[in-house]
Amino acid sequence: MSARRMIPLGAALIALAAPASAQTPAANDEPTLGLEPGAMQPVMDRGIFAHAILNENEGRWNGSNTQYRWSGEGWLGTDYDKLWIKSEGTRQSNGTLEDGQHQFLYDRAITTYFDLQGGLRSDLDSRPTRNWAAFGIQGLAPYFFDLELTGYVSSGGHLAAKFEAFYVLLLTNRLILQPQVEIDLYSKADPARLTGAGFADIDTGLRLRYEFSRNFAPYIGVVYEGQFGQTASYAKRAGESTGDFRFAFGVRIWF
Amino acid sequence: MVSYPPLTRRRFMGAAAAGALALIPAPLRHALAAPAPVLSGTEFALEIGSMPITLNGRQTTATAVNAQVPAPILRWREGDTVTLAVTNRLSEPSSIHWHGVRTPSPMDGVPGLSFSGIAPGETFLYRFPVRQSGTYWYHSHSMFQEQTGLYGAIVIAPKAGYPQAFDRDYVVLLSDWSFEPPETIVSNLKFQSNYYNYGQRTLGTFIDDVERKGIADTVADRLEWGTMRMTPTDVLDVSGATYTYLINGQPPGANWTALFRPRERVRLRFINGSSMSIFDVRIDGLPMTVVQADGNDVAPVTVDQFRITVAETYDVIVQPTADRAYTIFAQAEDRTGYARGTLAPRAGMAAAIPPLDPRPMRTMADMGMAGMEHGEMPGMELSPEGKRLEGKVGVDNVAMMPAERLQSAGEGFPPGRRVLTYADLRATKPGSDPRPPAHEITLHLTGNMERFIWGFDGKKFSEAVPIELKLGDRVRFVLINDTMMEHPIHLHGLWSELDNGHGEYRPYKHTINVKPGERLSYLITADAPGRWAFHCHLLYHMEMGMFREVRVS
Amino acid sequence: MIARLYRPLVTGLLPVALIACMNSPPTSAEPGAAVPLGIDLGSSGPVIASAQPELPARVIHAVAEAASAPHRDMQMAHAGHNDAHGTGTVNSVDPAQHKVNLSHNPIPEIGWPAMTMEFPVAPSIDLTAIKPGTRVNFTIEQQPGGMYEIRAIAPAGARP
Repeated sequence: MSARRMIPLGAALIALAAPASAQTPAANDEPTLGLEPGAMQPVMDRGIFAHAILNENEGRWNGSNTQYRWSGEGWLGTDYDKLWIKSEGTRQSNGTLEDGQHQFLYDRAITTYFDLQGGLRSDLDSRPTRNWAAFGIQGLAPYFFDLELTGYVSSGGHLAAKFEAFYVLLLTNRLILQPQVEIDLYSKADPARLTGAGFADIDTGLRLRYEFSRNFAPYIGVVYEGQFGQTASYAKRAGESTGDFRFAFGVRIWF
Repeated sequence: MVSYPPLTRRRFMGAAAAGALALIPAPLRHALAAPAPVLSGTEFALEIGSMPITLNGRQTTATAVNAQVPAPILRWREGDTVTLAVTNRLSEPSSIHWHGVRTPSPMDGVPGLSFSGIAPGETFLYRFPVRQSGTYWYHSHSMFQEQTGLYGAIVIAPKAGYPQAFDRDYVVLLSDWSFEPPETIVSNLKFQSNYYNYGQRTLGTFIDDVERKGIADTVADRLEWGTMRMTPTDVLDVSGATYTYLINGQPPGANWTALFRPRERVRLRFINGSSMSIFDVRIDGLPMTVVQADGNDVAPVTVDQFRITVAETYDVIVQPTADRAYTIFAQAEDRTGYARGTLAPRAGMAAAIPPLDPRPMRTMADMGMAGMEHGEMPGMELSPEGKRLEGKVGVDNVAMMPAERLQSAGEGFPPGRRVLTYADLRATKPGSDPRPPAHEITLHLTGNMERFIWGFDGKKFSEAVPIELKLGDRVRFVLINDTMMEHPIHLHGLWSELDNGHGEYRPYKHTINVKPGERLSYLITADAPGRWAFHCHLLYHMEMGMFREVRVS
Repeated sequence: MIARLYRPLVTGLLPVALIACMNSPPTSAEPGAAVPLGIDLGSSGPVIASAQPELPARVIHAVAEAASAPHRDMQMAHAGHNDAHGTGTVNSVDPAQHKVNLSHNPIPEIGWPAMTMEFPVAPSIDLTAIKPGTRVNFTIEQQPGGMYEIRAIAPAGARP
């Protein structure tokens, strides 16, 4: 379009646009501050984000039978306040569900690296259901250890605790070794659920994953699932093993 | 007065045109989109719309102005009053901010401060006098539209003429493009802040360091960084893992070429219009004479390389004498990719592309602990403000000893190259306001890399109050970077006179790169009333809270 | 006579004309070209004044500092508190970063033991007189933000 045609076009546009854009000032020589304060925000820094991850999503094979194990968590919320879901469980080769623990927590960021969490835990699996109030702390400790420590109180006044930790070791930028450990403690025995008092069980593993993408990483590993003390005796009485090394293979996924 | 030939302007007419555009075979469609034409005069009509483009053979959707990415080059003349009718054909609100151009506050284009944005289907009329000259740029200030293509150059011819002669004049607009939607990028960073960092320390680098420094030093070094829960490999948050780096909208393979005749003086107007990428620019075989920074003339400085942070501009003059091609090489600071163009006497020529330099690593100086031996020093204490910031959710580090680093070009430059530093920038005329500052405002640049929260003084924009200045104030802003990343800090509406040791010849800038662990200061004359945005120009830092209002009334 | 010169003249001029046409550079991008060409925005036109003399990069700051001395003094006078004095030996000088590395005696005013450390130096101070191995008296001051900067330094025995 030639320069000569631009001027009448520009004038026409101004004539059309003037009523359409009421916020333009009458003249440039009247300095105004701009928009009224509080009308809207120039940046949206209170965004709500949602993510979920399956840290363990694996078959576990000990030479004779295979279990399926999952352990994951997800959250939805802002930088300070989030709603969390955590879930884990093991499906035995005979179809029963064990170690099912699901938590629904409110999470509040309190320091640079740690969050306070509180809510509800439900033990839902093939054994009798138990419900607990949960209260704990989760975050990144010095030297990059990821830690989770949660305490529980049941309606019957029983106490429990869970400690989880993992460490991310980069062999290369995509080949990653992740040792992980999870320990459960209970104040009182719960024979129906085959858990004894004191240190009850440990689930620990060393997993090696390859990150084709950050979100999708198949892995292999070795895992050990063991019981202590009274829990071990319950297991023996039920005809189950008290300590089991298994070979794990799975896919770590997050979105 | 030189006149310019009329150029056709393609208008984007809506979905029908988009469909028609999609039917045109790919190479021709690419040719229609490639080179951004130039719009001159005083009346402009700009239309913002979505446009399918092809980049490196991949189809994607960009935010275009007048169906072009980058947006058209706007040529203004100092002294004119320009009128720009901007029509928004997107399905979401948009805006255009004229970066570095001093306009009345309602014309500054920041939704929420200047105006309420341009609603879908609406046309907003910008109109302001142009009282400055130089190279500037414009871009959207709404959400992440700047990342998806809404950026373009502004060239304002000086009324009095140029102080340096040149025969040719090219805009070199550097940018970054991702095929991932920007909302996905920031969401990924929220969950895993090192998502795009494939240059982290591994077992391999540990073994290399042990071979170089011995096991005791290497373990001590790892432990030192480990106590801080930081890693020295954090250079750019978003890297070449997702970005393709562009020069005037062209990927390296397209070989964007600027033509010259040997012994001519060529002016290259470098603009960093990217969202998250700091570039190190050089032309092997050709020294560059920097004559303008952020639109303001500086005493000429000849360098081999310069680092241009997001939103800065540098005008350089080169004088290629040989009848050969030269590679314009702009590598990302983290060395995960580069933008590349060619300076040649004829089309179709190309010079060798140099290999990427080694990736820089952060040092203890970047953590604000310059010159300290391993561990704490007895008697060294954080200042009271530092103590208040420590441990907050939005803060992962407070610089113990922030240092003046204007004499340093930064990390990542192999020895033997002359690299531009901020201390080299000297204005060609003394500042217009000789008063010393009446008071000082100190701001800490803070962030929490793990949570990907960024702010000033440990607060996001939504948690803070405006910085109030009185009209006519002469004030000193002191910035202390408590984070270990560079932040390009941009103040709208007022000039930032960087105190770099040149006294009244301190350079007038609109965007200042604050290095990790650095303390610098600049003087401001609050001579324009309004609600001015003040923010880090790394797009995802800005949106995550590194933003303030500076209110001059 | 002119008529006789006419033919050789034209024959001589023709190849010159052809060569001139071949060398004319393209002025703008041709649509559909395989290589995207930059758009030449033209030349500068007549220049307004003689070009600024180019100053060697590192000298610039020292020259301008003298010119702006009054302003710097005013700033130094404002910040008079938090001064501390010490003596020490210079280990190394970094002119590029404008820093010195010192081994200094205890500084009781701020509770510091003897230490070896690097200090940033105020920009107005000329570091060329400070040589490694020199014994010096110095004044440091804490800046907002916590950093200690050398505000004055001189060889011990000389007037600081």
